[in-house]
Amino acid sequence: MKSDIWLAAGAAAVGTLLIRMLPLYWIQRRWQRAEGKETIMPSWPGVLAPLMIAALLGISMVPQNTGTEGWSATMMGSLVTLLIWHRTRTLGLPVAFGVAAYALVRMGGS
Amino acid sequence: MNGPVWRLGAREALPLLSGYLPVALSFGLIAGQAGFSAFEATALSLLIYAGASQFLFVGMVAGGAPPWLTVLMTLLINARHVVYSASLAPWLSGSRRWPWLMHGLTDQVFALAHYRLPLLAEQDRMSWFTSTALIAWLGWAGGTLIGSLVGEQIIDRWPLLADALSFALPALFLVLLAPGCTSVRRGAAIVASTLAALILALADMSSIAVPLAAAIGALCFYLLPETTGERRS
Repeated sequence: MKSDIWLAAGAAAVGTLLIRMLPLYWIQRRWQRAEGKETIMPSWPGVLAPLMIAALLGISMVPQNTGTEGWSATMMGSLVTLLIWHRTRTLGLPVAFGVAAYALVRMGGS
Repeated sequence: MNGPVWRLGAREALPLLSGYLPVALSFGLIAGQAGFSAFEATALSLLIYAGASQFLFVGMVAGGAPPWLTVLMTLLINARHVVYSASLAPWLSGSRRWPWLMHGLTDQVFALAHYRLPLLAEQDRMSWFTSTALIAWLGWAGGTLIGSLVGEQIIDRWPLLADALSFALPALFLVLLAPGCTSVRRGAAIVASTLAALILALADMSSIAVPLAAAIGALCFYLLPETTGERRS
């Protein structure tokens, strides 16, 4: 990699880190000046955060194979994931069962 | 350091890893095809640590785009991260370590932290986050290294494995979102945001899908009346 590409990579890395850290740094500075957290916390992140996760879900649900088989596997995997979550209320098991259901449908179709 | 909380964080990062690995393998493979060595591709994963923008970065470099434009486009794609640490702030302390730990705040780690941090005692949160973020970070970098070295052979040999593991991420997001559907209003906003992002991704507009779909979900949330009380999940 040439030196200008290393510089670009460094700039992208520093810029990304600043995007991630500066909002929190700014909020911490405001905490230091204010009496308590609650008085200065905006309410919009509490609404926006789950909606951004929902958007990530929507993007990640598009299967690699966008034919009927890929969508069937996605639907079955999602259904099994939610059913197991409803029964267990845990993180790991629903994901494992969902992936297994997805794989079974994909294997059945290939 | 709190051992059990570190282990909890590491264990909860495992579903993230199964989602990361196929993407990291693909990134290592594509970076190699674009002329990056295994060391360079792994360095990009360790330093930038943001999936979609890394694909864009190697693609633009390989295509001969000017470095300043490559950096600008990379940062534009990552701009959505600006709200992540602010969203987690209510559960973080004033420690100076927290802003630096935000290097590990990817989309997936954010989703997991948004679910888990409120359930942990204040003194356990930093241990849990450090453990989760470290496992995810090393998994991403390790997957990139493996992809650079032997990615082609792995994908040729087990094409279904990579496909099946890629479903771990949507499954994880589903599990993280389900407890948040505490009212019809919140549930409708989440469904609206999910469907909007799905449609935008199918229309090849993934780069703007997250902010746009979240805005549509927020619009839905604020337009719907507060008719139903919050119910406990």
